[in-house]
Amino acid sequence: MTRLQTLQGFYQNHVQPYYQKAHKNREENKPIAWVASTFPIEILQAMDITPIWPENYASVCAARQVSVQLAEVAERHGYSRDLCSYARTVIGSVLTEKTQDLPEGGMPKPNFLVASTAACDTHLKWFQILSHHLKRPLFLLDVPYNTTGADAENLEPQLIRQYVSQLEELAAFLEKQTNNPLDRNKLRKSITLSDRTSKLWLEIQDCRKNIPAPMGARDAFSAIFFMLSTPAAQDAVDFYEKLLDEVKGRARNGVGKIENERYRLIWDNLPMWFNLKFFNYLNNLGAIVVAETFSHVWTGSLDSSKPFESLARKYLPNFANCSIERRIDLILNLTKDFRANLIILPTNWGCRMMSIGEIIVKEAVYKKTEVPSLILDVDSSDSRNYDEYQVKTKLETYLKTLD
Amino acid sequence: MRILQSFRNILSERHDIARSWKNQNKPVIGWNSTYTPEEIIHAMDALPVRILGSTKPTMLADAYLPRNACSFARSTFDLALRSSYAYLDGFVTSNSCDNFNKTYDLWRHCTKIPYFHFINTPHTNTQKAHDFFHQEITRFKESLEETFKTTITNKKIQHSIQLCNENRDLLKKIYDLRKRDTPLINGTETLEIVLSSMLTSKSEHNTLLKQLLKEIETRIDPPKPGVRLLITGSMMGTPDLLNIIESVGGIAVADDLCTGTRYFWTLVQTDKNPIKAISKRYLNKIPSPSRYNWEERVSHIKNMIKQFNVEAVINFLLKFCDTHMFDAPLLTEELKNQGIHVLNVEWEHTRSGIAPIKNRIEAFIETIKGVP
Ligand code: SF4
Ligand code: SF4
Repeated sequence: MTRLQTLQGFYQNHVQPYYQKAHKNREENKPIAWVASTFPIEILQAMDITPIWPENYASVCAARQVSVQLAEVAERHGYSRDLCSYARTVIGSVLTEKTQDLPEGGMPKPNFLVASTAACDTHLKWFQILSHHLKRPLFLLDVPYNTTGADAENLEPQLIRQYVSQLEELAAFLEKQTNNPLDRNKLRKSITLSDRTSKLWLEIQDCRKNIPAPMGARDAFSAIFFMLSTPAAQDAVDFYEKLLDEVKGRARNGVGKIENERYRLIWDNLPMWFNLKFFNYLNNLGAIVVAETFSHVWTGSLDSSKPFESLARKYLPNFANCSIERRIDLILNLTKDFRANLIILPTNWGCRMMSIGEIIVKEAVYKKTEVPSLILDVDSSDSRNYDEYQVKTKLETYLKTLD
Repeated sequence: MRILQSFRNILSERHDIARSWKNQNKPVIGWNSTYTPEEIIHAMDALPVRILGSTKPTMLADAYLPRNACSFARSTFDLALRSSYAYLDGFVTSNSCDNFNKTYDLWRHCTKIPYFHFINTPHTNTQKAHDFFHQEITRFKESLEETFKTTITNKKIQHSIQLCNENRDLLKKIYDLRKRDTPLINGTETLEIVLSSMLTSKSEHNTLLKQLLKEIETRIDPPKPGVRLLITGSMMGTPDLLNIIESVGGIAVADDLCTGTRYFWTLVQTDKNPIKAISKRYLNKIPSPSRYNWEERVSHIKNMIKQFNVEAVINFLLKFCDTHMFDAPLLTEELKNQGIHVLNVEWEHTRSGIAPIKNRIEAFIETIKGVP
């Protein structure tokens, strides 16, 4: 049950330097943006703006076991404990006085913030609050809801138009903030790199269809870092090429992540970042996560001859922004393609988007595949909303019924 | 006052009213977000009814919804599962909040309502957002025409704009009655009136309002005066909370609620193109916290405080109502800076969620009374 070579020391080798470099950029007065997920980060990268991703920072704080402490700072300021724990953690980190104790010295202050409405209400409110406290402007991409749940090819044209026209506005905003024009050549390059990153990532994922699966969720949840934080960078491409080599090699030689693979699991949405060891525990039970929806919703083909349109096609179908059919389809496909025999649907206490509707997913997927789903009450980064004993008992009882 | 009972009756007889409408072969369309243009529904001679939830336990919905879903969305879905809304010909929503958006999926999957429509409502009110929303309202109109085999002419829309605007004007006059030093009507009664306007035809409601306005000046049983409060917060589909307030020495004289001013305060302006006029009105209306223009929400509240001579604010936050909960700390700070006391109360839409907060409200009102 060894970790993949390429992922040894991932945090020290990749995540830490990302924050260190950002701090350095801050000192050198290079532009920094705080960005919410589902935002077309490719445009920022094309303009040499350093993207800092608070959701990642929240997961870092969770892994370092300080998110509860930070969430409590936010709670003391009146933010309800039932709100998204990412948001509370980050608001807490901004409002805390003891910045010297923060992981990675905190997030370097931004010149501006960017967010979209594609994932949840939380992003809008949370970034508004951050913008207020940091006294920095916020650009909001007002993303129309993909009501039909259409995929990239079948999106309604008015949604694409609305998205693209706002990217023009975004470009103008960024140009003004940075005093730097958006160079269309650089944009194309950024799009090409991100497309390559995404394809490599999907190839890596494909290898996990193999029985035994060469890679599990713990590795995937670390390695996805580049996909989300800096997809349009040569570093990301280089890293995923190396990772693909290794994972492919394992698949070819029949080397599994675990020796005795008994249960193949699909994991929906987020993990408990404060307890990634949970996946080792699963492995010890003979269970391996072969696919995460999280590893699939951020991918998308990009066409450098139509940068803005292809960004629209990448981000509009993110299942957070869609009617439930899209989530059902994705899980159905993963279940079939990865030959899974159990789906884990973790709720997330502060997240309506992920929690509401899981029951329809469960019913729909069972009807079509007879693969059962298990809903677990968890939280992405607030360990107070997670009852380990209850979760494990439920899971173990369930696994027995699969034998 | 007898006339006030008529509004109360509409609330208790809401399903009968809807069914009698149907008996005349006219469609009934349910809606749940104040970004739904009632005018368009009304213009095809259909009855738009707001799905308001109840304070009853929600056993059926509990089987489908996680514990961390808001109890209002839960309650409305529970009613749907109990077939309380089996008469609906359609259900229309717009992207108002995550709880609604995601329970809408459940409505579609678990009920037999024949027509569903989602109006894509922007979160901003920039020119681009307005253009997009205008198209969306047009699409909504066309979808109604196609489904219900009818034509919604501009003339009909103009007529319903007129009716709805008249209703808004009359409701404002009712609100004016609370600007006085001794309000002629209390918050509970006012909420019942506003709620009832979403459950019956506007013309009937207008008639009742006019009669009320005529009779009320000579009211012999005016409400007890008390600490003048503005009520804001999440969805309030029943007057229970205001009842509590007004039984312990407070009086709700103004609000920032989606069953209050957020619903009716803004009028539709005349425009050659009535759909454009409507789409403008809805995006520019007093925003819900789920919108981007939060400053407009704050300034509306401050405005109300001034106009209605408000002494303190109570913010009723439904548990798991993210957008209101996120707004609460900064809103509290903003108002406190103006010397306004604020009480934030978390509650649940069911009765069991209402009872325990009585003491806190009472204590708050006592402190305000003590403030010189
Ligand atoms: S966890 Fe949910 S609520 Fe929080 S930022 Fe992500 S999608 Fe939004
Ligand atoms: S009470 Fe809040 S969370 Fe619930 S449906 Fe209304 S706006 Fe949404």
